Parts: sequence; C-alpha cells; structure tokens
Amino acid sequence: MSRYLAHVVARTGGAPPPAGLRGLPLRWLDGGDLGIWATEWSAEPTLTREDAFAHHDLVGVLCDGAPCLPVRFGTWLADERAARRSIEAAHERFAAALDRVGDRQEVAVTLLWRDALSPEGRGHAVASSGTAFLERRRAAHAATDERRREAEALAARLGSLLAADQADVRHETCPSDEVALSMSLLARRGEAEALKARAATMVAGLSGVRGVVSGPWPPYSFSEELGATGGR
Amino acid sequence: MTEPLAALPDEELTVLDLADRLLNRGVVLAGEATISVAGVDLIYLGLNVILTAVETIAQHERRTR
Repeated sequence: MSRYLAHVVARTGGAPPPAGLRGLPLRWLDGGDLGIWATEWSAEPTLTREDAFAHHDLVGVLCDGAPCLPVRFGTWLADERAARRSIEAAHERFAAALDRVGDRQEVAVTLLWRDALSPEGRGHAVASSGTAFLERRRAAHAATDERRREAEALAARLGSLLAADQADVRHETCPSDEVALSMSLLARRGEAEALKARAATMVAGLSGVRGVVSGPWPPYSFSEELGATGGR
Repeated sequence: MTEPLAALPDEELTVLDLADRLLNRGVVLAGEATISVAGVDLIYLGLNVILTAVETIAQHERRTR
C-alpha cells in the first residue's frame, strides 16, 4: 500500500520535476484547484538526514516552477482522499497564502551571542547558602532580561532597516542561551539576493553578536501559521 | 565542554538553520496527515521548538566528528 511524503501545496498545473526523493515517483495529489506534490513510497520508510535535505532541494525546484507553500518535512498522507481533506480543511488560508508568499523567498538571519552567559549568569551555579542562592537567581534573571532587551533592540533595528513592511518579518529573540535572534525576512524573487547582501553587511557591523545570513530559501517560516496547529 | 555555536563555520550554521526550518516550520496539513521523522537523527521536538532543535543537531554533529 502506497504512502505519500508531502513536499508542497500548489495550484493545479505546472510541469513537475522528473522524480521525487530517492528517485521514486513524484505524484500530484489532486485537491481541486489546489493540490500537493508528494513522493510515492511503497511503504513508509525511515527518513534520513539526506532525505530532509533532498526534500529541501525538491521544494526549491518546485517553487522555482510555480508559487508553492512548503510542507513541513516528514508529513505523510495515505492517499489522494487524505490530501483532498487536508486541503479542504484550510483551503481559503492556503489560497490566500499562495497569493501572499507563494512566489517569494525567505532570507534567514541568525545572531549568536559572542559571549554566552556563564552558568552563574544563567543561575546554574551551586550556591553556598540560601541567601547566595537567591542573590544569584536575581542576578541571573537580571542578566537574562538584559539579554532579551538587547535582542529585541537588535530585532527592531534589523527589521526596520531590512524590511519595508513589518508583516514580512518573523523573529524570535533568545530562543536558547547561545542564540540572540532568529529572524526570517520575506523577499520577492529577484530581490532576495540583494536583501541577503544588505543583511550580511548590516550584521557584520553589529557588536556583541555574530551574524549568519542564509538563503534565499522557499518561504518555510511564512507558511507554518497556515496549518491546523497554528504558528508563532 | 562543547564548542559554542558562535565558533562554528558559517556553512555549518547555515545547515543547522536550514534543518530547523525543515523540521519545525512549513505548512502543517490538517486532517489525515501525520508527521513522522522518527528515523531522522536531526531530532524533531515540537511545533514551537526552534533552534533548541538546532543546538541538538550541533551537539550531534560534534559527537560524530
């Protein structure tokens, strides 16, 4: 019995690439005016790291050919009926999102603290007394709050300088001890490389953080809110 | 002690950033779709977990070098 690994939601039509993952057939799962490109497997396999990046390559090819919404890697459908029901459940949102982001690309900006907080700064140090414990916790909270304020200021600065429309920016500050900011910027095709270059120049001038600018990629971060479970 | 992320080369950080997007972002299909990446050694944690997954990957890569 076949299983289908979903790659993108797209509008009906368009020429498919010759094959799916691992050279397997790429199928169009028809859901009316929208559908899903998916790799057909004879049984659900154990996916690998290579499959994840092959999915990314395939999504890129599909998005180059027509407006697409990338599907989260590892999403399986049993058959065309399941695909149709999935599309019906969010048809209006998918159609609107295809219009808004389907032909755009995403540039990723990640800022890493050059000096990660010490265990003391994170409140993980062993205290010798109750008072010392409370003082260290207070200091740790203050340090964390300060970091968050710094990260928010960086996000506001980058967002205002790099994106004309704040709706085209997604970001999260301090998602972990080492990361100050994870930001995604949406750009029109043809403008994404220029945006990436501007972002790289900007982050190179920031102090206290190391910036990495990546992409352009399919609009992963701007598609996630469309699913049943919502997004950030 | 593990190497800080800020010490990794740009190319490696880009791969980690991309892996985070592949595993934690993108359209979530409703209805009868299921998400299964149990065999992927990049560790999928949850729909709202970002970059913690990246750091997990980084730790994995350091161990396997």
